[in-house]
Amino acid sequence: MDEANFSPPAQPWGQPPVAPPSLRPIDFVSEGRKFLKLLVRGAALQLVTFGFYRFWLATDIRRHLWSHSMIDGENAEYTRTGRELLIGFLFALAILVPIYLVYFLIGIEAERVQAFASVPLGLFMVLFASFAAYRARRYRLTRTVWRGVRFWMQGSGWKFAFIAFGWMILVVLSLGGAWPWRAAALERYKMRNTFYGDMPADFDARPIEFFKKGLGMWLFAIISLIFLAAGGILSTAAFKAPGSGVVLMVLGTIGLIAVPFMYPFFRALEWRWWASGVNFGGTRLECNLRGGALLGLFFKYLVIAWLVASVVAMLIIAIGAAVVEAAGIQIKSLNPQKLNELMSGETWILVAGAAFGYLTIMLAAGVVQRFFLQHEYWRVITSTITIVRPEAMENVAAKGDIANALGEGLADGFDIAGF
Amino acid sequence: MTEDAGQATFFDGKSNRRRTVTLRLGPELEICENGAPIASWPWDWVRRVDSPKSQLRLRCANAHDLARLDIQDEALAQRIVVRCTRLDVEDSRGKSGTGRIIAWSLAATVSIVLIGLYGVPLLADRVAPLLPQSIEARLGDMVDNQVKTIFGRRTCDAVDGQKAFSKMVAKLESAGGMHMPLQAAVLDSGVKNAIALPGGKVYLFRGLLNEAKNADEIAGVLGHELGHVHHRDSMRRLLQTGGTSFLLGLLFGDVTGAGAVIVATRTLLEASYSREAEVKADGFAIDTMHKLGRPAAPMAELLVRMTGPQRGKGIDILASHPFSEDRLARMKKIEIQKPGEPILDAEEWAALKAICNQPAEPSPATKDSHEKPATEKTP
Repeated sequence: MDEANFSPPAQPWGQPPVAPPSLRPIDFVSEGRKFLKLLVRGAALQLVTFGFYRFWLATDIRRHLWSHSMIDGENAEYTRTGRELLIGFLFALAILVPIYLVYFLIGIEAERVQAFASVPLGLFMVLFASFAAYRARRYRLTRTVWRGVRFWMQGSGWKFAFIAFGWMILVVLSLGGAWPWRAAALERYKMRNTFYGDMPADFDARPIEFFKKGLGMWLFAIISLIFLAAGGILSTAAFKAPGSGVVLMVLGTIGLIAVPFMYPFFRALEWRWWASGVNFGGTRLECNLRGGALLGLFFKYLVIAWLVASVVAMLIIAIGAAVVEAAGIQIKSLNPQKLNELMSGETWILVAGAAFGYLTIMLAAGVVQRFFLQHEYWRVITSTITIVRPEAMENVAAKGDIANALGEGLADGFDIAGF
Repeated sequence: MTEDAGQATFFDGKSNRRRTVTLRLGPELEICENGAPIASWPWDWVRRVDSPKSQLRLRCANAHDLARLDIQDEALAQRIVVRCTRLDVEDSRGKSGTGRIIAWSLAATVSIVLIGLYGVPLLADRVAPLLPQSIEARLGDMVDNQVKTIFGRRTCDAVDGQKAFSKMVAKLESAGGMHMPLQAAVLDSGVKNAIALPGGKVYLFRGLLNEAKNADEIAGVLGHELGHVHHRDSMRRLLQTGGTSFLLGLLFGDVTGAGAVIVATRTLLEASYSREAEVKADGFAIDTMHKLGRPAAPMAELLVRMTGPQRGKGIDILASHPFSEDRLARMKKIEIQKPGEPILDAEEWAALKAICNQPAEPSPATKDSHEKPATEKTP
């Protein structure tokens, strides 16, 4: 796997050579135990509050991650409250409900003409989700403070949504080949609308570099798909070549099984490329994230999530059995008919118990997921990022105002809110 | 350095310039740069800001929003913390903050659940009869299209059978006192069911017709579907589904209503709404049949024959219909006042049974679909 770093931009002609730039790693002060405690507490509170605590949990998580990330010796801050997220969500409902109503009415009219003709309307929702994602980023960014100065963002969520949608069509048409160009277009739009105080940010990584380094992985996936398809066609009666068809199909399947294992390497590549393009004044980022580190993280996550979910499930079953036993019913002596009587008599207890068990397992899995895919992911990423020339970010004057939490609420309404 | 002073880093919130300052711990927290005081924070207004445990970060509630003071010296930090009486009062993670969140969440949940259980059905009951017929007819066209896509488009129309079917429907219609014109037909599908769509469309499926042993059985089923039409149950159901989806979206945050918990809760709620509607439709069928002087029980006998006894087979509160045996017991309990003529004579009944038998092009294959059309189903 090609893990070469992206070289910093070449020195322009005609300028005297300068001293090598100063480097400063991002220092993530890991307090995993504290974070885990925060997650378990959050999960328990979500259970008691019927999910309403999610707004405060999201805020708690961000506060922890932000405040433990030291940039040039000073930790970042996430300044807002869960209540603000709740209000944003309520605003979003006020917007989403009429949209869903209109969507519903248009759907009815379309269905009158042709059954299930309303399905393409979903495309509008895709567009809307991009819009929400942009506004959510703006919300999070304006709550991010470093050294007493706020980050902020301008630009139009709708414009961003159209750029994202247009490029998505090209990505699909090119079977994924246009991905780097889409990523570059989106990052350019986001970063060129991003500011730290009065200092504008920029993004100048070239998509062709990304494409060249990811070409091997992309071709591997495409060729596996072609093998599978070609094998399928050859095995049909028309070609009468089942032998070679099966061989191709097996090769293609093996290739496709390998693709998920390549994904961490792809993500690492994307992170390195992204960091090489970020630019605040003269301050740049450098990232040396290895795919292996992400692969290890994902693997650890899957194993532990599975373990935790099964342990919790067994605990619940054991508790349930104990409760039934305590109620004076011997499970062994139950014949099917008696079980039926129980089922119809006390069903609400059974249903409530099943719902409680399901929720507990989901929340436990959520704790593991947040720990690995948020805390650990964050730790792995930040520990590989180096800040080049941090001194260029000195003496930035405060500017820019906070944005409301509407975008975040919309994103929550779509169930796509990140952390 | 004296006992009540120490070094810290100050950011004024106007620029990100790092300023090394001296703190004087007097009646207020005094911040001095190069010996000159630049700010003074009253102890009651000092608040803690997130930072790792290696340092203490402070802000002041009545100074610049983003002005920050970083204290690395642990001993100094300790002496400052002792003096700040209201350091963490605005933190939602504190005990009182969390208690408030729990209390309000519970209140919101209780209110949402009560609205779901009582408010939404009440609203649907009141609003459904007010909706103009034209809206219902439009919805009916839409659902009709879906039903025909799923169950096949061919309706059975052998001439004699159609005549008998029309006679049966007309009798039921006048006995039931329907407020809107009916469009009833037999659909050539093996599914053992009958459905009522919005706008007065009623479909009887060939599969159910084949199972029936006499005209009263089918008349009862049709009477039940007429009951759904008469009560406008499709519209009511639509309003209820919309209402509960919205409420549960409020609760769980997923307005699209796709989450497993939402689907499960909605199924429970809708099953309870639907059982009630089915009981009322049965009542309508009983009344209508009795006005014609015919027993209602044969319909339930047909159901029991098809489903067998249902009690104890599944989970009660998930069932969308009352149990077949309960329906039979109810229908047997009520006596007919004066027995009347059979709805169809033997010849007409035979013709109705054969309504799908005419040679015709094969019906299109039945498609499977996850979409559940918004219809009222029997059994």
